Amino acid sequence: MSDNAESPTETQKEESQAPPDDSTSNEEKKKIDVFLKAVGDTPIMKTKKWAVDRGRTVQSLSQFITRFLKFDANEQLFIYVNQSFAPSPDQEVGVLFDCFGSDGKLILHYCKSQAWG
Amino acid sequence: MSLCLLDEDSFRSSCKLLLQQSEELRDSWTWEPGSSEEGYLKKIALKSVVIDSSLKWNLIDDDEGEAADVCGLSEGSSSSQVFQYEYHIVYSCSYRTPALYFRACTLEGRSLSLEEVWSSVHPNLRLRLKHCPLNTITQQEHPLLGQPFFLLHPCRTQDFMRPVLQAAHQQNRSVNYVLTWLSVVGPLVGLDVPLHYSISSSSTKPD
Repeated sequence: MSDNAESPTETQKEESQAPPDDSTSNEEKKKIDVFLKAVGDTPIMKTKKWAVDRGRTVQSLSQFITRFLKFDANEQLFIYVNQSFAPSPDQEVGVLFDCFGSDGKLILHYCKSQAWG
Repeated sequence: MSLCLLDEDSFRSSCKLLLQQSEELRDSWTWEPGSSEEGYLKKIALKSVVIDSSLKWNLIDDDEGEAADVCGLSEGSSSSQVFQYEYHIVYSCSYRTPALYFRACTLEGRSLSLEEVWSSVHPNLRLRLKHCPLNTITQQEHPLLGQPFFLLHPCRTQDFMRPVLQAAHQQNRSVNYVLTWLSVVGPLVGLDVPLHYSISSSSTKPD
């Protein structure tokens, strides 16, 4: 189901930028390549590779994906590193990259579930 | 699917692994044995919580003079207070999942109400959860201690664990059920699970 180790240059054409919601004057260095992969029956995103600000939080990334995939209000998104660990919503993507990034990219898996309750 | 259910033995072995990591990372989880084989993981943490002004308790009414001091301390809409949180990870036989029980008190020992506990829930999650707060966090008797605790209800646990466990099963990876689960539910109730748990678990793969 997943794309396999595509080289960043190959996906250059479909590289997009997550909408900058805070500052637009970010240098290239502050962005990192994040690959978003769906788990299970969660809808995939056609664009897998995103340039994300280091300072962006997991929460804000999650809101972005939720809007992008047009989730219902009662659906909740979960983001995992290592396919098994959900980082705290306040965690910054840059920190995740430092801990779990490899080959200059960070792979995050996401899946949805019904919200609590 | 049975794959998504956690039996009691796996719960204990998951907890054991988590404990080992906790020791390595100097986190403060401990195993509290109950009668026979039962037991639970426990962690006590101090947390500084910003109290919404709407959630402040009204002491002014009962005693003008004394209470004025108390209120003076928590004046301002963004005052923060230190609370002691006690988290228990208990096995739920009915749901066959772990369940997160917790209670919180002020440093003077006064227990927090459900409203005050809500103030520690992550603001972004609070909105979403508030549609049905009673289904999410309820006050219940602790199954092993018989004392009143708050419980993050485990009725959705299987739903959000299933995709992760199935993917792991397909790829023949082992996942520490309790750790994955805790990383998802912890932040809901102000419990931080450091990233390092995931780093150390990937380097020392259990069988």
